[in-house]
Formats: sequence, C-alpha cells, structure tokens
Amino acid sequence: MKRITLFAAFVAALSLAPVFAAPDFEAMVRKVEAIQDFSGSDFSGVFTIVSEKPGQKQSLTQVRMFRRDSKEQFLMLIQRPEAQKGQGYLKDGDNVWFYDPTSRKFTHSSLKQNLNDSEAKNSDFSKKSILEDYFIEKTEESILGKIPVYVITLKAKTGESSYNRVKLFIHKDLALILREEEYGASGRLMRTTAFTKYSPVGNGKFFPSQMLIIDEINEGEKSQVTMTELSTERLPDKVFTKAYLEQVN
Amino acid sequence: MKTLVKIAFKNLNRQKKRSFLLGGAIAFGIMVVTIINGFAGAFAKNIAGNMADLFAGHVFVEGVEKSAKGKPVEVIRDATVLNEALAASRVDSRLVQKRSAADATLVFEGKKANQSIWGADFANESYLKRRLVLKEGSYDDLLAPNSLVLSEKVARKLKAELGDKVLVQLKTVSGQNNVGEFTLRGITHDMGLFSNMLAYASRDDLNSLLALGPEEFQLYGIMLDDLSKAEPARDALVAALKARAQVFELSAAEVSPSGAAGMQSRYYKLNRLAKKESWEGAKYRVFTINDMISQVEELVKVLNSASLVILAVLFVIIMVGISNTFRMVMYERIREIGTMRALGMQRPSVKRLFLLEAGFLATGGTLAGLAAAGLVMLILSLFDFGTGTFFSLLMRNGHLTFAVGPVQAALNFVIVLALTLLAAYLPARKASRLEPAVALRSTK
Repeated sequence: MKRITLFAAFVAALSLAPVFAAPDFEAMVRKVEAIQDFSGSDFSGVFTIVSEKPGQKQSLTQVRMFRRDSKEQFLMLIQRPEAQKGQGYLKDGDNVWFYDPTSRKFTHSSLKQNLNDSEAKNSDFSKKSILEDYFIEKTEESILGKIPVYVITLKAKTGESSYNRVKLFIHKDLALILREEEYGASGRLMRTTAFTKYSPVGNGKFFPSQMLIIDEINEGEKSQVTMTELSTERLPDKVFTKAYLEQVN
Repeated sequence: MKTLVKIAFKNLNRQKKRSFLLGGAIAFGIMVVTIINGFAGAFAKNIAGNMADLFAGHVFVEGVEKSAKGKPVEVIRDATVLNEALAASRVDSRLVQKRSAADATLVFEGKKANQSIWGADFANESYLKRRLVLKEGSYDDLLAPNSLVLSEKVARKLKAELGDKVLVQLKTVSGQNNVGEFTLRGITHDMGLFSNMLAYASRDDLNSLLALGPEEFQLYGIMLDDLSKAEPARDALVAALKARAQVFELSAAEVSPSGAAGMQSRYYKLNRLAKKESWEGAKYRVFTINDMISQVEELVKVLNSASLVILAVLFVIIMVGISNTFRMVMYERIREIGTMRALGMQRPSVKRLFLLEAGFLATGGTLAGLAAAGLVMLILSLFDFGTGTFFSLLMRNGHLTFAVGPVQAALNFVIVLALTLLAAYLPARKASRLEPAVALRSTK
C-alpha cells in the first residue's frame, strides 16, 4: 500500500512538474530586448505621432529615425510640423544633443524628454536595455484581452531610471511586449503603452509599428505612434554626426 | 566778493518771475532725475527684501552630490556640518530653515499649472506661520498629511477649491518621474509674479515624493537681522564651511567676467560648477539672496545711467533757455554794467557777477528740485498699490519706496551747476568785455 502511495505521489509530481517549472523570466526579457536590437545592422524608419489633448486640436509630428545600436547611436530628425522642421536629436554613447536650426545651436538633452510635446519619449525609439536599469521584482501570468501573457514587474536599480517600476505584459509564445505600464515611486500608474502591431524587419527581428501611449496622469492625453519605411539597410557613418544634422537643414 | 554776492541776489530778486521760471526748470529736471534715482536705489533692495521674506533667508546653502552616472543630485543629508560651520562663522542668524523644493506640474480635472513647491515644516516654522496669510483655509489645517497651499491665481487656474485633491507631478532628486496626490488646504492671496513660485507642502510629504528621507532637505536658509549683512555673512560661512567640507568657489575671473557672462547671476555661475566639476561626497554652495538676483543690480546701473542721460538732455534744453535769458539780461543791464565799470568794477568782477547769478539759480533750483522730489516721493509712497501684481516685487508691502544716495544727489548737483555756469559763461564774458563808454552810450 505504501509503495502504491509513493508511486502515485511520484506520478503526480511528474505531471505537475511543467506547472511548477517557472520560465526563465530574465532570459525572456533578454529575448524581448534582442528582438528589437539591431546591433548587427543599422535601422531606420519614419514615425508619425498623432497626439490628442483635451480641448486642443490633434497635433501631428513626423520624425525620421536612424539607429546604429552597435555604437549606441541614433539620430532623429523632425520633419513635421513645419515649425519644428529640421530640429533633431543625436545620441552618441551617453550623450544626447538637441539641435535647433533656427539658433543653429546644439544643447544637451535627455532620452527622458518627451518628443515635441507628445506622450512619446526619445527613449521609446532607442535600443531597449531593460535589465541594465531594472531588476525583476515579481512575475505572474494573466490574460490581456484574449491573449495569455506573462506580467513581469521590474523595479529600478537606481533612482536615475525614468520610472520606479515598470510592468511588462509579454506574449507567452512570441516574446513580444504587448503592453507596458510605468509607475512612479509613489506607486501611481503614470504612463501606459499598448503595442498594437509589430512588423517583422528580417533576421527574426520585430519592431513595434503601432503604439498607443496613454498619459495616465493627464486624463485624455494620448499619442498614437505609427512607424513606416522600416529598414535595416546599412547607413552612412556621417548620419550619426552633428555635421549631418546641420547639413540636412 | 560780498558785494558781488549781494548784487547777484538783488538782481535775481529784481526779476522774480524770470528767476522763478529758470529756477523752476532746473528744479523740474532735478526732481525727475532724483525720483528715478530714488526708485532705482530702492528697486534692488525691495526685490531682495521681498525675496528674502518669501524664501525665508538672506544666506542659503545647497548641497550637491554626484550620482553613480555623474549627474548632480541636490540634497543635504545631514545638517550637522552646516550647523557647526554656522556656529563657527559667528554669523548672527535670526533663524534657520531647512526646506526641500520641487518644480512640479499640478493637475486637477484636466487642467494643468506649472508650480514651484516648497517643502516646509508647518509645525515648527514660526516665521512661515507669521508670513503666510491665507485667504481660505487655516494654518492649523496644514498640519494634516499631504496638505498643499496654493495662491489664489493658481487655484483659480486649476479651478480647484479647498478640499480638492490635486495631483503633483514632478521628478525626484535623481530625475525619476513621480506623482503624488495632495489636498488643497490653504489658498493665499494672489501673489502676482510669485504665484507660480510659491506653493507650500509639508517637507515630509514633498520629501517622500522627491525620494528624500524624512530628515533630508535641499536648502538651508539663514535669516539675518538685515539684508546688508548678507555678503559678509556668506563669506564668513564659506570660510567656516571650507574647514569642514567641500565648497564650490568661483575664481576671480568668474566673479566679474566681461561680456555676456557679466550679466549672469553669481548663483547661476555657482550652479554651473556642479555640472563641470567632479568630486565625491557632498559639496556645498553658499549664496545670498542678492546672488540670485545680481542681474537686478545691473538693471539698477542701467536705470541710473538712463537717469543721467535724461538729466543731460533736460539740461541741454534748459541751458539754451539760461543762455538766452542771460544774453537778454546782459542787454537789459548794459547801461548798468557801463555805470559799474565806470565806477571802477573790473572785467572779471562783471563776469563773476553773472556767473554768481547762474550759480545761485542752479543751487536754488537744485534745492527746490530735491524738496519737490522728496514731496512727490512721500506722496507716492503713501499709496497702497497692493501686493497682488507683478509690481509688488518692486515695492515694500505694496508701497513704493525710494532711496537717494548722497553721492548720487551731489553728482546731479555738480552736473547741473557745471551746465548752468557753462550756459551763462558766454553772456557773462560778453558783458565783461563791454567798454564802459560804449555801454553808457547804449540806448538798448
């Protein structure tokens, strides 16, 4: 009788094993990073951001972006609205500059800065390095709409990250972020990003081609971001220079 | 000479109306310029005094640390070293306040306002309790957690009323986004320009939002008896603090540079050092309320220079009048001059007589101008313009104040005297050169 009981317990343990064998969430986050990491090639695209604010007309911003992840470089060139045409952001390593063609001056800027008064930040378009700034605090399973997801709660390693906590809702099978929630140190939700569409860009890489960014503090403020003309073609070195920003104007 | 003085007075007295008009023109010029000088003299003092009252300090200390990524983080974790330095500096402080501060965006029902918020110790800041006049709410209510005091102007902009929950969106000291909920428990009178600069919350509550500990703060404010003691107190405190901690110091070239940098405030320059320099641990910057507004002194210089130009322009016009009048006077008195010359008066004495008359006119006009300026300034200072406008910054408790320096007044007098004598010089010289016989024959 005792043997039968032990055998039954063994079988039960085996059958439950897949349930208890938790996925490697760190590896999952790295995979999420890798899917949008274009270190082996360059990356470019055009972002159209439609921003809505209560009581104001919709505003449209169009930005052409060039990325070279291997050298942590990017260049963003504002093409619309006309008043801001020619303004641009250049990132080279840890330095981010903003260029204003009117004054013809470069000023230091930040990845945390919002892009042209929209809800989108410069960091939304740069290479993701989640585990550099955050550690995994909590994981859980959930359903987003009808899609099963892992919910990974990340906590900032230092006070210098943009947000104190970030919740990633990752597709269970595809390792793509479907939703991202960003929280302040007070625990209040500040910003939500819904990744509504991804586009394949070759070599198993994907890029979010449609995002909806919602400002949770200022009710009714949101930005719809659409990315087109995505390409991983090699870009000339001169693109990632201050001189290029000046010349292109 | 005594006789000449008597004759000069008598001559001025003979043509009362003319003398009154000429002296009046001089007096008017002096009055205008003195009022401008008086306003400029009190301008910087009033701004500094108002700001010292509102920020509760004449001398301030800020602490800066470098983050792991090399960014400056403004925080004072422990006041011990500052208290020791203050004691050692022998600065006579009236009170010391520890505050934290944030530039925030206030959000209430879809409306937003940019606002600087001071984290104050409501329970123990007696000075704030005296200064903070609430239009709505009571000071005791502010002791409740997450209380917020806004000015009437900002509350109106947000359409928020007492008891409403206002979201405060800001960046922590290390630059992380954060948001907290505060309850509007006090509304101050409209503070004009200061409305967006002066909101108050409990230091503990603001610290929690800024990711600071309960005992940590950002600004160590020292209130003195008198604003004029601010600079000596700053220097004494810097010397005492240097013996105990790292202190930001400007080089001689940075203190008084040429060109555009000359217009930057001393505080701005000190602030910039934190971005350029590398250090470990805490480093302090010590500054006065005047250091924050040193551009105002530049403005005062501009105002004083402008008043001198106005004085010069006014007196060029007045000089033409004086010169014409003295020319006329010379022709009117041509026979009299001839008689005096025939009786033995020498040429230089005739010239001196004319110049004495001009000198008395200038002196009398200046004295009358100063008296008129004093009267006008007194009347203007009686008006209460209120404290709810931008101009309240330039006034003292809603009243205009004036401060005329004796050097400035003496300089104005010297300029007026020199210009009047110059205007009278040519007619005086012409009068002195008249031949007695020709003058006596004259029928003009």
